[in-house]
Amino acid sequence: MQIQFFLQNINYIGSSCLFVIGLYTVLTHPNLIKKIIGINIMETSVFLFFVSIGFVQGGRAPILQTSGNEAVQYVNPLPSALILTGIVVAVSITVYGLSMIIKIYNAYGTIELDEIMQIRSEEAND
Amino acid sequence: MISMHLPVYILLLLLATALIIPLATKLSNLEIKIYMTYSLIVASLLSIATVARVLQAGAYVYHFGLRDPMIGVEFVVDEFSAVMMALVLILSTLVVLYSYRDIEHEIYPHLVPGYYTLVFLLMFSMIGMILTNDLFNLYVFMEILSLTSCGIVSIKRKKENLLASMKYLMLGTIGSVSILMGIAFLYMVTGNLNMTLNYEIIQEVWHIYPRNILVALGFILTGFGIKAAVFPLHTWLPDAHSTAPTPSSALLSGLVVKIYLFAVIKMIYRVIGFDIVSQLDIPLFLTYFAMVGMIMGSVFAIGQKDMKRILAYSSVAQIGYIVLGIGLATERGLSVALFHVVTHALMKSALFLSAGAIIYQTGKRDVRYFEGIGYQMPVSMIVFTIGALGMIGIPGINGFMSKWYLGLAVLDAGRPLILLVILLSSFLNAVYYIPIIISAFLKESADRENVMIVDDVPKSMTIPMSIIAGLCIIIGFFPQLVMTFIERAIPTFF
Repeated sequence: MQIQFFLQNINYIGSSCLFVIGLYTVLTHPNLIKKIIGINIMETSVFLFFVSIGFVQGGRAPILQTSGNEAVQYVNPLPSALILTGIVVAVSITVYGLSMIIKIYNAYGTIELDEIMQIRSEEAND
Repeated sequence: MISMHLPVYILLLLLATALIIPLATKLSNLEIKIYMTYSLIVASLLSIATVARVLQAGAYVYHFGLRDPMIGVEFVVDEFSAVMMALVLILSTLVVLYSYRDIEHEIYPHLVPGYYTLVFLLMFSMIGMILTNDLFNLYVFMEILSLTSCGIVSIKRKKENLLASMKYLMLGTIGSVSILMGIAFLYMVTGNLNMTLNYEIIQEVWHIYPRNILVALGFILTGFGIKAAVFPLHTWLPDAHSTAPTPSSALLSGLVVKIYLFAVIKMIYRVIGFDIVSQLDIPLFLTYFAMVGMIMGSVFAIGQKDMKRILAYSSVAQIGYIVLGIGLATERGLSVALFHVVTHALMKSALFLSAGAIIYQTGKRDVRYFEGIGYQMPVSMIVFTIGALGMIGIPGINGFMSKWYLGLAVLDAGRPLILLVILLSSFLNAVYYIPIIISAFLKESADRENVMIVDDVPKSMTIPMSIIAGLCIIIGFFPQLVMTFIERAIPTFF
């Protein structure tokens, strides 16, 4: 019974685990590139969640067929279409974040946030 | 009859301008400026025409292509969104006029065209967010808005700008990912993304899926809370708004944050529905966060020395007023929230622009060196004084009217204790604004004698901020100019 429940909702459980892992990485990890990775994990979890809402058991790809009259079940195409847009947005955020990290590395010589904070406090004391 | 396509023309005009600026390498600097001013003025006139049409013929729904609301994307142009659009365009026209001289002073010259591309995309996405009636469309506009607003912070290429916009990007992305998750939960229940249809379906089925709605509301409110800098989630705001170039600070603090708050109002009242939200006791929690924010924002501001940081922390406190208005959950409370969106946009951009002019001429950001600056730069300092007195709530300036309405709304909602918090917050505002004004006008400057001269900053900077200060006073005496639109818009939310 319990295992059956987990198996049926594995997509939701998986995406919520990924969301929490991503959030934890963004909030706690001092390395900026790993923070970007955490953001990507969070975005992936939302994409997984959104696409799996539209899944229909035994459904086919939603391509309209003119021949044949039998009724066929299709997967809901709307979430997949939305997530394509979402992926584009995620890529642009990643690109912007990584280019910012290059600038930060040029300015401070490190991408570890705790070291940057140390440098800043030393600058403030001077 | 005025055409119903005008909002779309505005969007296309802004998008086309954003595209043309980086491509037009052959045009001289002056020609590009004339072109941008021209397109902004045309966009403002079109938005005023839209307001006129809405007043004449009432709110309307604009369909893109498909008329079926299940799949087509819609814009809803109603009284308040039309006024909000006009406010965004007129205020950003003034800020962009101001920025022509100021921005050369703050960023590298080869980045200037890129900066204006970002500003036009920012305006485009703000107007899209105001008008859209589709949840996913809202998300896409919101992402454009958050990327461009990070961009206009980081374009200054100073060390602290880079870190501030990195922080802004991180927290902003967490916010938008949460909002997308919330939209996914709503989509699970309703099966479409149209706000009006979502509202109808949720009203009927929310007893069947109470958990979905609750989780969705939690994600959406947290996400927008981060983006709108509601108190405990505000940490990115002081860094981002204070380090950004002055025109960006005015746009970000005056308009961008308000757009997110307007989106929260839309989500609470037009998507989930007021009955469900108040049954879950969410308005009560919102008022608690708002009250803590109103006090703590001002308390943090008192400890600051940097002029723009003070203004940024003051924004945190003022956002508290708007959230308090939303959280009162009465018609009056909501109308105060919308009124304060307009008044704070005007006051805070006047404050940021005048502070920017002072920094432009003297190069000083520290308020301890502002002694006698009222004699050196009277116009900027008078604009600053008008904005600051408005923040404190002196009668005759629009800030007083929104505090007055807020007090009435609080009494009307039967919670008179909140009035004490409003009074305390106004008092704290006075604690950090009044000393700046006193030292600027009454103290002797160390460098020069207190002889009254006219500001040395370009006219293109003093005139826009004087117009904004004038608008503050006009709305202070005639609040009905804005209130009539809000009163007509309020019934559409309940």
